[in-house]
Amino acid sequence: MAKGTTVRMWRRVCILLVFMAIALGVVIFNLIRLQIIDGEELKRAAIDQSLRPTKLTAQRGTIYDCSGTKILAKSASVWTVALEPIHIEEEDKPTVARELARILDMEEADVLELVNKDTYFTYVKRKVETEIKDEILAFEKEYGISRGIQLIEDYKRYYPYGNFMGPVLGFTGTDSQGLSGLEYQYDSELSGTAGRLVTAKNAVGSDMPFQYEQRVEAEDGYDLVLTIDEGIQHFLEEGLEEGIANFNVANGACAVAMDVNTGAILGLATKGDYDPNDPWTIADEEVQKEIDALPEDEQEAATSAALQKQWRNKAISDTYYPGSVFKMCTGSMALEEDIVSEETTFTCNHSYQVSGTGVYINCWSTHGTETFVQGVCNSCNPFFMYIGEQLGPNLFFKYFEAFGFTQKTGIDLPGEANTIYYTADQLNPVELATESFGQNFSITPIHMLAAAAAVANGGYLVQPHVVDHMLDSDGNIVMSADTSYKRQVISKETSERMTKILNQNATSGTAQSGYIAGYQVCGKTGTSQKILEDNLDPTKKHYIASYCGFAPADDPQVALLIYFDEPDPTINYYGGTVAGPTFEKCMKQILDYLGTERKYTQEELEKIDTTAPSVTGQTVEEAVKTVEDAGLTVKIRGNGDTVLEQVPAFGEELPQDGTIVLYTDEESTETTVKVPNLKGLSLSAANQTAVNAGIQIKVTGAALTSSSSISQTQDIEEGTEVKPGTVVTVSFVEPDQVA
Amino acid sequence: MREQKKRRTGPGKINRADSRTKQKKRPAAAPAQSRAAGTAVTIPNESAHMPFSPRRAMKKVRRKYKIFSVRGGVDRMFLYVLMALLVFGLVMLFSSSYAVSYFESSGSKSPSSYNYIRPQLIFAALGCTIMFAVSFFDYHHLHKFAFPVLGITLLMLVAVRVLRDTSLVPNINGTYRWLYLGPINFQPSEIAKFALILIFAHLISINYDKMETFRYGVLPYGLLLALIAGLVIMEPHVSATVIIVLLAAVMLWVGGIKKRWYLLALLVAVLAAAYLFFFTDKFEYAIPRVLGWLDPFNPPEGTDTWQTQQSLMAIGSGRFFGLGLAQSRQKYLYLPEPENDFIFAIVCEELGFIGALAVIILFALLIWRGVIISLGAKDKFGMMLGIGLTAQVGIQAILNICVVTNTIPNTGISLPFFSYGGTSLVMLLAEMGVVLSISRTSNVDKI
Repeated sequence: MAKGTTVRMWRRVCILLVFMAIALGVVIFNLIRLQIIDGEELKRAAIDQSLRPTKLTAQRGTIYDCSGTKILAKSASVWTVALEPIHIEEEDKPTVARELARILDMEEADVLELVNKDTYFTYVKRKVETEIKDEILAFEKEYGISRGIQLIEDYKRYYPYGNFMGPVLGFTGTDSQGLSGLEYQYDSELSGTAGRLVTAKNAVGSDMPFQYEQRVEAEDGYDLVLTIDEGIQHFLEEGLEEGIANFNVANGACAVAMDVNTGAILGLATKGDYDPNDPWTIADEEVQKEIDALPEDEQEAATSAALQKQWRNKAISDTYYPGSVFKMCTGSMALEEDIVSEETTFTCNHSYQVSGTGVYINCWSTHGTETFVQGVCNSCNPFFMYIGEQLGPNLFFKYFEAFGFTQKTGIDLPGEANTIYYTADQLNPVELATESFGQNFSITPIHMLAAAAAVANGGYLVQPHVVDHMLDSDGNIVMSADTSYKRQVISKETSERMTKILNQNATSGTAQSGYIAGYQVCGKTGTSQKILEDNLDPTKKHYIASYCGFAPADDPQVALLIYFDEPDPTINYYGGTVAGPTFEKCMKQILDYLGTERKYTQEELEKIDTTAPSVTGQTVEEAVKTVEDAGLTVKIRGNGDTVLEQVPAFGEELPQDGTIVLYTDEESTETTVKVPNLKGLSLSAANQTAVNAGIQIKVTGAALTSSSSISQTQDIEEGTEVKPGTVVTVSFVEPDQVA
Repeated sequence: MREQKKRRTGPGKINRADSRTKQKKRPAAAPAQSRAAGTAVTIPNESAHMPFSPRRAMKKVRRKYKIFSVRGGVDRMFLYVLMALLVFGLVMLFSSSYAVSYFESSGSKSPSSYNYIRPQLIFAALGCTIMFAVSFFDYHHLHKFAFPVLGITLLMLVAVRVLRDTSLVPNINGTYRWLYLGPINFQPSEIAKFALILIFAHLISINYDKMETFRYGVLPYGLLLALIAGLVIMEPHVSATVIIVLLAAVMLWVGGIKKRWYLLALLVAVLAAAYLFFFTDKFEYAIPRVLGWLDPFNPPEGTDTWQTQQSLMAIGSGRFFGLGLAQSRQKYLYLPEPENDFIFAIVCEELGFIGALAVIILFALLIWRGVIISLGAKDKFGMMLGIGLTAQVGIQAILNICVVTNTIPNTGISLPFFSYGGTSLVMLLAEMGVVLSISRTSNVDKI
């Protein structure tokens, strides 16, 4: 018997080795199968489960006014609060629910439900301010909660001016996507490109070491610099609000100011609008009250309709018959085609028979024989029907098309409405006749303004636009607005002739409510009856009062269109009366703001207001000399030697032939007089009333150029106690201005 | 090497008798007379008339107790392969435990990625020291240890049964496998494997001639196996039981029992399975697990095959050349226990098929050298001991790789030299020290 290994042992060990070899063979076979044959699939599964892309939010671009410094819309950091319920310790859950509910002002039960979810991720609240985020961080620290609550940075949109040009700016949704206005139109540019952070995450969701990270940086959105001037926008917004209040305008209003040479929109105000910071609240409290009064099942639809209405940009989404304002286009066509000249005469017999038909169309008045210029100034419909006939449908439509009425203007705002019109072959005599004075076709206010700008600027149809240029996050200009014109519609000469006629219209014609001394305003009024729609009360008439014009006549710069939708007909509904004063006020402010030089005619110079010199503190003798040197009358009150006070005060405007009252003792300074009623009077009656009351009046509006005008407003209300000599501004309008 | 080649002597030639350390220079001087184990070489009265010298006293002790008395060279091939596996294993342990360690300590004051590799390195160093010490130790002494070790093992196995749910034997996932003795914690089942190998080797080497009988060849082993395996399976620790049973089968097979016993064991196993199938509901639990094993990506409802899925994804991710050392994705908490039972999946992922093949080849080489050493052992005790220890490493390695590759259903078996576990590594290295000790006197070409 051998001491060591026996042969049987050898044999049996060999058999074991064979088993081992088989086992290893099977294992190697499996490895080949797993690693080489199925490897790609398994590898992808492994990568898929570990890679988690995270969105890196790009900061939305800022919207500036034309100065490039005033911020109209801006994004600021806010936070999204989310939970990873699975990572919250069981005993912490009630605390987390209670504290989060308290901090986020939510129902504790709702939060508790989220906390108890068996998921990795759930949202709690979005758009939470930074202070609240800090509060959550403090709470986490206090209770030693290290995992489970996620704070994700996000952005919220702020509109620092509040309820200001809302329909132009628009607003954004919860994911910062633009939903309306510029926010919608330039959404892709503003929003930039979200970045992506693809990180490999371990099984519990934290990042793996950096080498697995793939980062595509977010590209912040472009900033928009608008053509709109915040100052001009303010004038328009205020002007509209005042007009709406004065004429009880039911359906909102809009005002658009445009640079006639570039098409740059200087201001675009819409009333009946909203605060873009809070777009889902109905801004008009009365509308909200009406909705609340409705049966519950109708409220939702009514709310939706009201929201749609307040978001609507009337200037580009509303269509209307431009009415007599369109006559500036028809007139231009006629001058261009030499159908009329300034001196061509036509006799208005009140009623006009459309040639070749038995249809008679009435004029708003009976003008008798008038020149073309007078026809424009009278806004005489038959004259323009006659011109239309002379042009014929083909020529008329050619110009109609050339003025851009058949296409959208292409302004860079969403929701531009399509125009409705007759094509050349559809223009029967009656349609042609009515279209000639601005009825029977629907365009938007922005169309009308663009056409007016073409009349003003030498005949070039410009592209209305709101965005001047775009800047990337480094401040480089990435896009500039194209200010080239689309085409020349009428010749420069025709443009100049029409401008002159419109200037006369605004000086002494139906549009003289828009007259501003020294600014040579050109204008045309329009009063259009609204087409009855389903939602309009058929027992009442509904008007749109508009005024469209530009200034100055010798070198037109700014075109302005004022549009009041449904002024109260019991007060007034004529374009000249309702829209004219607003036009005058806004245009004056705009031109003053832009620093446009006033050029007075000789006639105007006689009526121009002057400013009071400073005489307070001077001796009476000196003061009298100063005042008289300025061409003003002096009135002395009291018995003192020195001037204690003067009315009007230094710098205040008063008529050229006005009076300055000097108060020389204490007693005299305490005298007051009552402001009388100065409304509804002729110029001479108003003057007389003022003299009797011991005050002075400053005249604006139609009275400067017309003797038949009647005072409409006064800036100091009747019954107010003022010092003798105080200047009250009274505005005059031409009575019964039509169309 | 040159001198070792000179010592390519017959089976009876051993180089142990000369106590002088210069034995390498005088290989021829090694006398052959004291070949038999257990017979001490005595040099009478040497110390009686000489002054005390520590060096001489040490020499005397060494001679008397044959400690560090083995002077033959070790099998370098075995040693190199072993060292390669150990270093490879430590590198992979560092890589695979990196994320887990950090994550587990992330709540603490000082999160660290070194919480696994640091102790493992210390235990590896300790294990190597013990291994080399043991390699100089005459394994024949282990004859005397066979029964005491068995006794201690049984005591510990009974202890984990009796002391359940005390601080010594905590409940870990419903099992009681660990004994917590102050600074060191270990699984008695690990020791049970060694105890079984030792007692079987001891008995077989004594009773080799009677191995074909029932009384001496089957009965004692059957009783011992039933006792040890029974205690281990009650922990419960099925995978350790399987390894123990396989170890016993291998040893008895090599020990030369009749093949019919295997057929009988197979029959018993089939009958037991049939009993379980027909008279108990064990199979109802097993069937979904089997289905989950067959198609781990579409497991039946209620069966968790996450670990297997992640393991397969890790292996597949490696493709041919791997993602690169330390580049594993799956170790980031996707694959459970990447530092322990599933470390091989990380090897596959980071080093690809090439790396996996390298590990398999290293284990194959180790087994091959272990078998060669055992077969060349100068006696049956060394032979059986060597086979048993080699088989233990081989069985564990193969079963582990089978589990990780989903070749067999998932069960907890660690990969020797790779998986985390300090005491188990020290034990393993000490056992390898025994193999090295055998190789010193083994009649093999020591390459």
